[in-house]
Amino acid sequence: MLFRYISKRFAVGLLQLIGLTIAVFFLIRLLPADPVSRLVGMNASPEAYAQAAKQLGVDRPLLAQLATYLGFQPEIAPGLLQGSLGVSWVTGTPVTAEIAAYLPVTLELVTLSFILALAVAVPIGMFGALNPGGKADKGVFVYSLFAGSQPEFWWGLLFVYLFFFTLGIAPAPLGRLSPMSSPPDVVTGFMTIDSLIAGQFDLFVEALHHLMLPVFTMAFILSGPIIKMVRQNMARALQSDFVLYANCAGLPKRRVAGYALRAAMAPSMTLIGILYGFMLSGAVLTESVFSLGGIGQYAINAVLNYDYPAIQAVVLVITAISLVVYLALDLIHAAIDPRIAF
Amino acid sequence: MLKRNALLSAVAVATLAVTAAPAAAQQILVLAEDVPAGLDYDGPSAAIPASQQGMVTLMEPLVGYAAGPANEDGIGMPDFSKIEGRLVESWDYDPATLTWTLHLRKGVKGCDGATFDAKDVAYTFARAKSVSGAAPIGWFLSNVASIDGFTPAVFGDDPKAKELGDEVKIIDDYTVQIRQSEPNALFLPVLSIFGLLVYDKETMEKHATEKDPWSHDYANTQNAPGFGAYCLDKWSKNQEISYKANPDYYRGKPAIDKVTVRRVPQSSNRAVVLRTGQAQLASGLTPKEFDSLRTAKGVAVGGVTGNENLFVHMNFAAKPFDNPKVREAIAHAIPFEQIIKTGYFGQAHQWKGSVPSGYPGFKEAGQYSYDPEKAKALLAEAGYADGKGLEAFGDAFQLSYVAEKESTLGPIVNIIQSSLRAIGIPATLNPIPQTQYGDRQLVKGDLPFAVNDQEKPIGVDAGYAVQLFFVSKDKGGLNNMVNYSSQVVDDLWAKARIEPDAAKRTEMLGQIQDQLAADVAWLPVVEYKTQWAYSDKLKGMRWYPDNSVRYFDLSVQ
Amino acid sequence: MSSQHTLETADMLPRRRRDWLFGLGLTIVVIVVALAVVGPYIGPYDPTLTTPNVSVPPPSLAEVPGLFSAWISGTLEAPPHWMGTDASGFDVFSRVIAAPRTDLVIALVANGLSLVIGVFLGLIAGYYRNAATEFMMRVSDVMQSFPVFISAMVLVALAGRSTTNIVIALAFVYTPIYVRLTRAEVMSQKVRGFVEAARALGNTELNIAIRHVLPNSLTPALIQASVTIGFAILLTAGLSFVGAGVRPPTPEWGLMISTGANQIILGEWWPSVFPGIAISLTVFGFAVLGNALERRYDAS
Repeated sequence: MLFRYISKRFAVGLLQLIGLTIAVFFLIRLLPADPVSRLVGMNASPEAYAQAAKQLGVDRPLLAQLATYLGFQPEIAPGLLQGSLGVSWVTGTPVTAEIAAYLPVTLELVTLSFILALAVAVPIGMFGALNPGGKADKGVFVYSLFAGSQPEFWWGLLFVYLFFFTLGIAPAPLGRLSPMSSPPDVVTGFMTIDSLIAGQFDLFVEALHHLMLPVFTMAFILSGPIIKMVRQNMARALQSDFVLYANCAGLPKRRVAGYALRAAMAPSMTLIGILYGFMLSGAVLTESVFSLGGIGQYAINAVLNYDYPAIQAVVLVITAISLVVYLALDLIHAAIDPRIAF
Repeated sequence: MLKRNALLSAVAVATLAVTAAPAAAQQILVLAEDVPAGLDYDGPSAAIPASQQGMVTLMEPLVGYAAGPANEDGIGMPDFSKIEGRLVESWDYDPATLTWTLHLRKGVKGCDGATFDAKDVAYTFARAKSVSGAAPIGWFLSNVASIDGFTPAVFGDDPKAKELGDEVKIIDDYTVQIRQSEPNALFLPVLSIFGLLVYDKETMEKHATEKDPWSHDYANTQNAPGFGAYCLDKWSKNQEISYKANPDYYRGKPAIDKVTVRRVPQSSNRAVVLRTGQAQLASGLTPKEFDSLRTAKGVAVGGVTGNENLFVHMNFAAKPFDNPKVREAIAHAIPFEQIIKTGYFGQAHQWKGSVPSGYPGFKEAGQYSYDPEKAKALLAEAGYADGKGLEAFGDAFQLSYVAEKESTLGPIVNIIQSSLRAIGIPATLNPIPQTQYGDRQLVKGDLPFAVNDQEKPIGVDAGYAVQLFFVSKDKGGLNNMVNYSSQVVDDLWAKARIEPDAAKRTEMLGQIQDQLAADVAWLPVVEYKTQWAYSDKLKGMRWYPDNSVRYFDLSVQ
Repeated sequence: MSSQHTLETADMLPRRRRDWLFGLGLTIVVIVVALAVVGPYIGPYDPTLTTPNVSVPPPSLAEVPGLFSAWISGTLEAPPHWMGTDASGFDVFSRVIAAPRTDLVIALVANGLSLVIGVFLGLIAGYYRNAATEFMMRVSDVMQSFPVFISAMVLVALAGRSTTNIVIALAFVYTPIYVRLTRAEVMSQKVRGFVEAARALGNTELNIAIRHVLPNSLTPALIQASVTIGFAILLTAGLSFVGAGVRPPTPEWGLMISTGANQIILGEWWPSVFPGIAISLTVFGFAVLGNALERRYDAS
């Protein structure tokens, strides 16, 4: 049963990705931008222009371009079916390779922010739910509303002003390491993990130091919806029959809270999945503030340079990751709550 | 026959080699807006200054301008009246056959031990003529220099037209002859430009493939093998590029052994790191940041009034800019002094001409003063008293500028917009991405109204600028972005272009510039300094017309 | 954050306290709406004209009372720059209070647009379930799986920076939310008794869908809208921050933060900090209001 559920979810996700690929392909090309002119620059004679258009393959009919992109014409260029996202129009490098360099930066930032946010928000949310109506609960509630509705880029800037400019305890918002350090060999692309693999503990500390403010910024914003969700689901679970029964049976309060938390986390999985996908795309703002060369920066460059293969790839990859995360969380959800798979 | 030798440069080389011999290995960290996106000058990223910086670091030109005295900021200036040999040792010119004989330097070694000879020069021109890259700059420059056979025919279907014929002829290992199709004074200046830097044929061909016989992929993604002062060490696009000194460089081993260029996209971040002393050189800061670094400890700021300027672009093809009175009115509504103070913190002066004032052939012409009353009167003469009737042209009065330059141009366009509205012109702002700006300026030619600070004629000659910007489009004015067309200018330039007598040529160029000023072809606003901020221990900074730094010049004290 | 419409069951806060918070949210929203109407006209300076005073810091708190009385009594030549001026010489205060005209209008129009389209499509999809509406739902799924911020950024950057394009981009990312909400509600409403009753009375299907099902299915979408307006303001500001928003010199909070961002690292905090406070409070105000509406609905 579980297997059928997985394959069905997988098939739906795949179809969704295909639909998205085609939609993005046409949407970008419908917009009134001309990628060719960027190439020819100052020497834009009509001849040079035609030459550049040919070079990019944009002189061919749209459907033919799509066929190549999807990989039905491997003799012209490898496409999606061959595992290629195309070649960047700016750098001439395969987009897959570029994404592989940028994506880990964002994943590291978002994942660490999630861990921190969960570590802080779950206990706070639980605390609120366990003391309903109290002053503390009220505070927790207002905080969650506030944090969930903040412009993260502004808080990032504010933190830079406070912790870098005024107090001097944070490094300049200059990327993942100080400009004089050379990064460890790339294994996973996660600076924290790679530095440990390389055995360079000083780099590990430096990487964490540089991640401090961006992770705080994102975790602060994230903590809002997570607290709100934990608090609600927890409160609901605490009123459910099995908790009432457990209380009646005289189980210790701590233990009951544990049961309730488990019951509360199951429905929370979906929202966490949605938040993760949302943050992957929204990280572009935090990356901008702290000059972290993540997927968001890559997206901005791609957009500014009309680098269509790169734009398509960014949208596709982020969506694919979000879908994988949804799927994984659904599976966890199904494991916690077997009713789902039926 | 005209004969020149490069004794002077040989002396200069000798002194440099002696004085710059360092004791310990020197290295510097440079902070830049970007690292090269590609190293192929016929490739897709050649228009990006960061890419050009990489090319001139790795490759060497055939000729270059002699070094002149330093300016008031201590930055070495080129002597535009004197071209000296680089990979070429000396040359002869035969006006009867329009043929240049280049005597190549012997014993020049590249990074992989490759030796420079005539085959490398022929390869470079053959590659340019193949127009196989995305943006054929090599062909374009050869065409500007009237090298025979480098005509638009190369873009046709005849494969023969793309092949190098006898216009570039190898005489022996160290002699090459190049033939022009007509007399053209731009030949030597053009050879100094990055788009004709010499490739190392051997290494390039090693990386050629059947699909890509001219190794564009290699040059774009791996390396540009040449005979420059530095060799590529490590290159991760969008992050960092590092260079190691070429120990065999013909002008002597560079003082700085290793140069690391780190990409730091936000200019304010570059400023902050430079201030901490972790980096030694930063370019492309905003005038405000340069100004704030001027007083910082251990940091020096140097600048050059070279070829960077800012002008207002008014398209003759868009109403109401076809009305000379409207153009003149706007010219008198620009608060030059306020722009110099607020926009450039004093590091600029009003531009009184149409080509960079330091270029050979420049003539001062067209002085507009800030005079709102006069502007209003002119506007009334044009039939738009107090701006009445101009509302119909709301779209035309969208002042476009490059969005990526917001932090530099923002204050300036805001001032211009405010002062135009003060005399009744309904100006609004329209920041557009560089790519789109380029498209509309160069390809479509439909930007009605814009502020432009990025036209630096890379050929150091008033005539080059005139040809590029002001000759009618159908007469070859490739970058005539305002659709200016003047019979007087076209006729004069047709004569000046092939005028062998330098004095007569300069005279004609002067008349052209007077005409440009009379028509307000461009509205010149300021010439601003090209600036760098660097550690005060870094010495030897020089300026080149492409605005890229030559790390070879530098040393740490 | 396009937070789901979540059911809130156990928030039994004492009524008085809840009202205090609700009052705060309402006050903020009323002020912002008022500024959207009169903001551009009541500032001491024109929000889009430069002054010759560049990068002037705001007066210190101690100076404010003195300046204020001097200003009231008319002994000052020019009104003070209460929040300083930016690098172009714009008066920050005048721009901060003029900005709701831009931010709120974009958020309202984009939400109105996606609400109308989304509810309409959701009604059809929920009421008539066939191959065509199924396909529509799949398209809506695809749209909803677009990464929100990046899609909006790509759309605006490639289509050109203009208020219209921002509104379209926002509507694009928000419409599927309304489709889904309305469809679910319609599906639960149409099996209820009153639909049967209407049918028994001889109403046409179209009539039932529009006159009976629609009004009963609107609430979730309307509540969602009150929350989404706040997020639309955030998104608009975020787009401006990365250079895909409104054009300068339009007074807009995100754009102001972005222009000031370069200076903050050099210690000039005021051009960014004041507009940031404004966004922070505004979006919070809408969140409080939306939350209160949500609960009132759930309670009923």
